[in-house]
Amino acid sequence: MADLQDELHADPEAGALGDLPESLPELPATGPRTSVLDPDTAWLERARAVLAAHPVADGYCGLPWALRHLPWFDLELGESAVGTDIPRLREGHVGAQFWSLRLPEGLHGDRAVGATLEQLDLVRTVVRTHPEGLRLARTAGETADARNCGRIAVLLGPASAAALGDSLGILRSLHMLGVRVLTLSGASWASEAGLTRFGEEVLREMNRLGVIPDLSGACDETVRRAVAASKAPVLCTRSAARALRPHPANLPDDLLAELGAAKGLCMVPLTAEQTGPTVRDVADHLDHVREVAGPESVGLSGTYDSGTAHPQELPDASRYPHLIAELLRRGWPEPDLALLTWANAQRVLRGADFTAKAAQLRRRPSTARIAELDG
Amino acid sequence: MRGVSSLEEARELLREFPVVDGHNDLPWALRQQVRYDLDARDIACRQNAHLHTDIPRLREGGVGAQYWSVYVRSDLPDAVPATLEQIDCVRQLIARHPADLRPALTAADMEAARAEGRIASLMGAEGGHSIANSLATLRGLYALGVRYLTLTHNHNVAWADSATDEPGVGGLSAFGREVVREMNREGMLVDLSHVAATTMRDALDTTAAPVIFSHSSARAVCDHPRNIPDDVLERLPANGGVAMVTFVPKFVLQAAVDWTARADENMHAHGFHHLDTTPEAMKVHRAFEEGNPRPPATVSTVADHLDHMREVAGIDHLGIGGDYDGTAFTPDGLNDVSGYPNLIAELLDRGWSRADLAKLTWRNAVRVLGAAEDVARGLRAARGPSNATIESLDG
Repeated sequence: MADLQDELHADPEAGALGDLPESLPELPATGPRTSVLDPDTAWLERARAVLAAHPVADGYCGLPWALRHLPWFDLELGESAVGTDIPRLREGHVGAQFWSLRLPEGLHGDRAVGATLEQLDLVRTVVRTHPEGLRLARTAGETADARNCGRIAVLLGPASAAALGDSLGILRSLHMLGVRVLTLSGASWASEAGLTRFGEEVLREMNRLGVIPDLSGACDETVRRAVAASKAPVLCTRSAARALRPHPANLPDDLLAELGAAKGLCMVPLTAEQTGPTVRDVADHLDHVREVAGPESVGLSGTYDSGTAHPQELPDASRYPHLIAELLRRGWPEPDLALLTWANAQRVLRGADFTAKAAQLRRRPSTARIAELDG
Repeated sequence: MRGVSSLEEARELLREFPVVDGHNDLPWALRQQVRYDLDARDIACRQNAHLHTDIPRLREGGVGAQYWSVYVRSDLPDAVPATLEQIDCVRQLIARHPADLRPALTAADMEAARAEGRIASLMGAEGGHSIANSLATLRGLYALGVRYLTLTHNHNVAWADSATDEPGVGGLSAFGREVVREMNREGMLVDLSHVAATTMRDALDTTAAPVIFSHSSARAVCDHPRNIPDDVLERLPANGGVAMVTFVPKFVLQAAVDWTARADENMHAHGFHHLDTTPEAMKVHRAFEEGNPRPPATVSTVADHLDHMREVAGIDHLGIGGDYDGTAFTPDGLNDVSGYPNLIAELLDRGWSRADLAKLTWRNAVRVLGAAEDVARGLRAARGPSNATIESLDG
């Protein structure tokens, strides 16, 4: 019943969107003006209207690790210790978020698997204690459902490759606990040398389960191989354009083109390190990725609460309208913005679901062991 | 010799109230024998040469619910990853045999399985090492479907003493008590098989929900540390818990206990560990066995335990936990999972009523899981999940 009521009040701005495009585009071009609205405010209003219809599916949020040692917190009313809380997610029009389960470097075996279980437990507790704001989602359908109920969908992942303990059985158990994205780096089977035979089997089992491969931080060789070998579209949960800023997690143009051809998704992080110190730098990366990979292969990744600096105009999760305003100013058409913020991520989630359904008819759970394939 | 009629009656009774078995190590056997290659040991077919357990024999045995053990060794590192692999194995078994096995997480699921004529498949983790001193990991196992945790296996954990290890913390430590409370809050049954008597008593003092012994017999009948002392059995009525009698000969038959002690001594004398199964060690062991025939346990040995446990704990606090595929030897007449009707027939011959036997096989075990769920509902409303650490409580 509560859900139905929420739906009645959902997105009040959405209805107003219809009359916006006609009236606003020429605003900034009018030169000296008498309007009480300054141009920036007008763009921002329009950005909010776009986001009300097409909320942000944010590819990376570091909250689980950030909350780990925070003894008292409440995301419902606003939490100053972190950059992500429900009021700011609402203000930023975030409709879905991937919550990172990444581990610090150097954990393996018992400790890596245990630390991942602990993070999953923390996420379950946080979501359970914020039922008005958050809802766990495993599939594209559940993500859309959460949004229709006025909740922010929380998707689990990316998790670290180390969390698998080199075992497909553990992969299946983590999937059962809701993990939907796994980063293919930092394991012997996904190292600098690319994917090993076991690594390819991990990828096939991920396709069979519907766990989406994340290639941010993977070496170029792994990215190339995974893009080619994965039956389902892949994600780069935090990668920008290496042509604009040389960072190891950013993608060179040839890989961006391959990613685009395979209908993968490059989610551009809002970090000073990877994209630059201003909102315009982020927009430059988005322009470039859209240009090279195509509008169906570009997405957004807030990367908040993961210990990195953000562009000055985008300090926390509430600021997405400012980024969208900048893109509107640059002439991004609304359909492309809809793809960027929401639809591309939904398509990748749905692709993973469909691939899994088809693969499960064809393949049994794999019993392959690393010692047999890579030994 | 037992009359045909009591065996017939036992089978008929089990059709209505099938066996809930507290402990079966099939997942471990599949891990050890074929590394989870489930085609190599297809349990839809008879696997008499390799396993105690397969679906045809579970059906013959009148099994209606099985706690599959997701046991991993307590003397090796990386218990948590291995436990997740064991859980995956159980899930695969259930997925491969949907007509015979039904996933079960609650007492209601068990009843639904009985109504459908399928075998309710539950999971139990065997040993506190499987949670690596982490309450979050405990909750992770619960989320994956694990419905009991045996507090220790053959070795102590940092927060609880095992029956087969030197005294450590002297029962449960402060963190150990917090583990029990958190299990109560989640609705995971506290299993006191394998633990020291001191741990049993501490757990009974702490728990708000009924406990189980997933596979333990009576110490008064056969003096082995894996069995339950009478003072603990006496506390089950107040607690509401269930002691599930086990069949393992070296726990239930005094002659077998003594024989095993001598066999182990012989192994040590030849410079081998008593659990060594290398060909050289087995040769020494077989030579000993030729000169010293293994004393056989029987159906009647197990029935003696049940008679005693019934006298001390009462008919509402008994169950069955065969430990099949977790033990090399089994009693005559209870050679594999098809043997339960023989035990029921023996008890019928000893004058157990049909109502008593329905409690033993089905009702008590289902009641206990339901009671744990009720307690959890209350506790979850009263308090949030605990994130206490062993460092903060045990210093």
